[in-house]
Amino acid sequence: MRALVKMAQGRRRRARAGSSRGQSLFVGSALTPLMLYMMFWTLLPIIWAVLLAFFKYSPKNKGGLFLGLGGGNPFIGLGHFRNMLGDSLEAQKFRTSLKTTLMFAFLVLPLNLAITIPLAVAIEAVRSRIKNVFRFIYFLPTVTSSVGVALIWGYLYHPQRGLFNMVLKAIGLPSQIWLSNPRAFYFGIPLALWAVIFTYLWQDMGYNLVIFIAALQGIPRDFKEAAVVDGANVWQVFWRVTVPLLRPTLLFVCVMTMLSSFQVFDVIQVMTENGRPQDQTRVMVLDIYLNAFRFQRMGWAGAESIILFLIVLVVTIVQLRLLRTQWEY
Amino acid sequence: MTNTAISTRASSTRGALDWRVIRSRLGKVLLYAFLVAGCLGTLVPFMWMILGSFKSSTEIIRIPPTFFPEDPTLENYQTVLNDPHVPLGRYYLNSLIVAVSVVVLTLFTSSLAGFIFAKYQFFGKSIVFGLILSTMMIPFQVLMIPSYLILARLKLIDSLWGLIVPVAVDAFGIFMMKQFIEGLPSELMDAGRIDGASEWGIYWRIILPQLGAPMATLGILTFMFRWNNYLWPLVVITTNERRTLPIMLTWYSGMQYQSYDLTMAVSVLVVVPVLIVYAMFQRWIVQGFALSGFK
Repeated sequence: MRALVKMAQGRRRRARAGSSRGQSLFVGSALTPLMLYMMFWTLLPIIWAVLLAFFKYSPKNKGGLFLGLGGGNPFIGLGHFRNMLGDSLEAQKFRTSLKTTLMFAFLVLPLNLAITIPLAVAIEAVRSRIKNVFRFIYFLPTVTSSVGVALIWGYLYHPQRGLFNMVLKAIGLPSQIWLSNPRAFYFGIPLALWAVIFTYLWQDMGYNLVIFIAALQGIPRDFKEAAVVDGANVWQVFWRVTVPLLRPTLLFVCVMTMLSSFQVFDVIQVMTENGRPQDQTRVMVLDIYLNAFRFQRMGWAGAESIILFLIVLVVTIVQLRLLRTQWEY
Repeated sequence: MTNTAISTRASSTRGALDWRVIRSRLGKVLLYAFLVAGCLGTLVPFMWMILGSFKSSTEIIRIPPTFFPEDPTLENYQTVLNDPHVPLGRYYLNSLIVAVSVVVLTLFTSSLAGFIFAKYQFFGKSIVFGLILSTMMIPFQVLMIPSYLILARLKLIDSLWGLIVPVAVDAFGIFMMKQFIEGLPSELMDAGRIDGASEWGIYWRIILPQLGAPMATLGILTFMFRWNNYLWPLVVITTNERRTLPIMLTWYSGMQYQSYDLTMAVSVLVVVPVLIVYAMFQRWIVQGFALSGFK
């Protein structure tokens, strides 16, 4: 009996000792290639992107030995960034795209919240069977290919054949040239930009909706019941109980919505053919894409992408500060 | 719940036509009206696409337009499916090859790296993991240009490999798998070691079979993301036969400029299969999106 125990102990000790060597061998042999691979496809591109921003780089030119930099692609230091403040055509386009992107992102966020929060509260208030049906339907656009979405909406917006003008005419309003009238402004925002914003909201809203529904389900029912017992009405319960408890979710949603709307590309590129009319829908990623892959100005596009990254970083940090809250309740 | 309880109590004491009952009924009607109106807003664009695809080429350009097709026709689908310049089967296959390969690779690399970060101690672990997480903050557009230049050097431009290779290891996937595997009891691994299993054996035979739920979520999310991805294939692919569905769709609509009958038919062929997959895996997909912050 004792011998058996000893044997078992010995085996276990041997297993441990052996496995400790085996473990570090395993970690080394499995993780190292994965991490090297990841470095190759993320760290290297990041460094390369930063380097590109300081060179006048185009893949057409014959460059130096190191990453094709130098030679025909000369180092220009902060030249691109200084150029962004100047009045060359590409600098003007860049500044237009920056302004458009900011308008886009700062309109999308409040509109998105104004739709998704009431919808989530309403869906939470109905019976669970029907709740799932609603959730299913509202999430349909989110899983649809954004190119498909852009084509469908392009057809909806068509001046003569589209559904929207058909409805406007039916209720006696003047029809609109939604996507290509540079002189139409509403609240100071070009109509074409509104049009792509509506499309983007339609596609993007299901995502935030699902997050809010999940968060609402996580709020303990007792809190609301206690408020009702204390004589609060529906509005008071919503503003004084639900909204404060949603704050952590709200923070997450705000950051994610902002991040993705700063990176909008698909819908706009397809619907407005590269930012028409008169660059009123030319957003930053579109400008970066056109510069890099159509005009082969990759150094310039790289510098733009660095600016995009810095803006995204600053906006995220500001939001984290503004909406900071104690997380537990 | 509470509202109804209070109002029924009130109605029993003060008679059936109590103000509260009316108000709660009215509230309910308004609630459903709001939700149904929202559903209509969500569904009408899909209907516009589907109905448009059944309109004839003369009906689709009629002014004012019709909502329902006056005499529905399959002509558009026949035109699209028989067009020798548009090998639809090829595009489906391309999209499928890319999406499935990325899913398989991502699931393997994420579960393996997630397992190691969750269950082993080694030098520099928290720094490396922190670095991985911080890469999730970087917009894809920053990596896009250098990644393209790397692909060009590897001669992978204009090939499906170029859509697969750069995204085979995924930071978010590693993070998600680590979170899940940390919750699994370490005794499982000890038991395996005592039975003489190697570390690879533990990964393959003990950990992997436990990962059904997170693998399904990560797999479906990755699949949909790759299937719908537009910008990267647009940059990488130039040959018609190598196009994936989204870039085929813009190319085709550009070619058939404003022939919405044909464009909508192709859109239906691209969009509807994804919606069917979504309907089948609804729970996984919705939960996955809610959990992940994946966009």
